[in-house]
Amino acid sequence: MLEVEGLVAGYGGTPMLRDVSVRLAAGEIVGLLGANNAGKTTLINCLSGIVQPMAGRIVFDGQDVTRATARERVELGIIQVPEGRLVFPEMSIRENLLLGGFCDRARPHRPAQMEKVLELFPRLKERLTQAAGTLSGGEQQMLAIGRGLMAEARILMLDEPSLGLSPLFVQYIFEIIDKLHKDGLTMLLVEQNLNLTLRHAQRCYVLERGQIAVEGDADIVKNDPRTRQAYLGL
Amino acid sequence: MSEFWQALAQGVLIGSTYGLLALGMGLVYGVSGIVNFAHGDFISLAMFMSLALFSAFALDPYVSALITIPVMALIGGLVYRYLLRPMAGHQFLMIVQLTLGLSLVIQNGILMVFGGQPARTPSIVESKLIILGDVVLRLPHLIAFVVAFAMAIGLYVMLRSTDFGRSIRAVHQNARAAALMGVDVGRVQVVTFAIGVGILAVAAALLLPGTPITPTQGLQYTVITLLVVVLGGMTNFVSIMLSGLVIGLSEAFGQIYVSDTLGRLVPYAIFVLIMLFRPQGLTWRTS
Ligand SMILES: Nc1ncnc2c1ncn2[C@@H]1O[C@H](COP(=O)(O)OP(=O)(O)OP(=O)(O)O)[C@@H](O)[C@H]1O
Ligand SMILES: [Mg+2]
Repeated sequence: MLEVEGLVAGYGGTPMLRDVSVRLAAGEIVGLLGANNAGKTTLINCLSGIVQPMAGRIVFDGQDVTRATARERVELGIIQVPEGRLVFPEMSIRENLLLGGFCDRARPHRPAQMEKVLELFPRLKERLTQAAGTLSGGEQQMLAIGRGLMAEARILMLDEPSLGLSPLFVQYIFEIIDKLHKDGLTMLLVEQNLNLTLRHAQRCYVLERGQIAVEGDADIVKNDPRTRQAYLGL
Repeated sequence: MSEFWQALAQGVLIGSTYGLLALGMGLVYGVSGIVNFAHGDFISLAMFMSLALFSAFALDPYVSALITIPVMALIGGLVYRYLLRPMAGHQFLMIVQLTLGLSLVIQNGILMVFGGQPARTPSIVESKLIILGDVVLRLPHLIAFVVAFAMAIGLYVMLRSTDFGRSIRAVHQNARAAALMGVDVGRVQVVTFAIGVGILAVAAALLLPGTPITPTQGLQYTVITLLVVVLGGMTNFVSIMLSGLVIGLSEAFGQIYVSDTLGRLVPYAIFVLIMLFRPQGLTWRTS
């Protein structure tokens, strides 16, 4: 469904990602692991069109989207739930969700889609008019995921959804991810939490200083000594 | 006592237009972080355009606004797209410099076309008065008040409850997240700038009747607008309108109770006093 080939990207001419190739099949959860500064967010931002790659190709559903704008990618259904949630703090939960379904493709179905999202996150339903900035970290993460779902994602890219959450919330978020997986959603799960990701993803890539160090089925990645190495930054 | 009511009424009426001027600036600052120092010169430009339309076709300023509003909005959009946007990401002072340069270009352009003498654009309602007991109101002021508040309310509703308005607020609150929702941030910035300058054309029409205009007046309007925007906390809609009233009132009371020339300093004095004790201005929220 998504193919990334030989991607090189960075900031101000310095490449942070070098020759990165990643594939996602429809319905898969693919884990993208790596230590701090490995380049995970940079990769996901290339996929969203926020960072322009210096070389390489991104193909979605057989269509070359390497040069597509961020907006065009949202219209195609490539949706990112950003690191640090980035909810709109002064807007209510309802308005945040409405903005999630802002794109032309999703806009006509917003009421029905909102029902579904609120069914998935009953906690948001109780607080529809509350300003997003006043929510707890866990609630903001729910909102960020819900906002991504409002766009009727065809591929949902979650950037460190467990970051800064209590263990209970982390567990809850991963339950949600499993639920979405059962419904057939394709997901790219960016995480630092190695064990949880290996448990929930079918395949994983391990990024080490901008390059793919290990890739394969979750079991294989789990037992590869290079995984721990990349993680410890050795 | 009648002086008091007179000042109060006049201050509120003029202040509402100041509020409207400031909303345009606050809106632009909110989505693109630009403070436009050519703000007042865009007002001049709109006013002289009305003058030209009066000279050529005898159009009343209220009527020619139907032409100046879209023309000014278009100019605003083009200026943002081709002059200001290429500077995005540069230092704040460079953009300030650019808008100051633009201010001089507009000023001298007007000077070249219209010459330097003060001019007036007459309107049929210009000398109409409304007398309420001891208070004498000029009809143009009353019209300005009604239109300014109607526009402010319209803008407020647009920002609150339309998708386009929400996208403007989204860009203001987190531009990156807005882009991830499929909002075309660049387009929102261009359109917002166009709206901001279009609003100036409305304000220009409201201020014109009975007011002499000169090509060099722009800076004065820029400064008054800055006063109101800063006092209103830059982007808070309601407090910007409130600050417009505060500045309008201090101007009116200053002119009636102090003296015509010294009175002009009263808004600045009030501004400094408020900022000394409330550096966040008249907003109640911090963001
Ligand atoms: N906007 C930017 N400008 C310049 N350099 C950047 C920018 N964003 C990231 N970098 C640099 O690129 C490198 C990779 O950063 P990136 O955010 O992709 O890492 P990451 O794997 O997501 O890390 P983390 O786990 O901390 O989120 C880092 O060295 C970082 O300093
Ligand atoms: Mg990251």
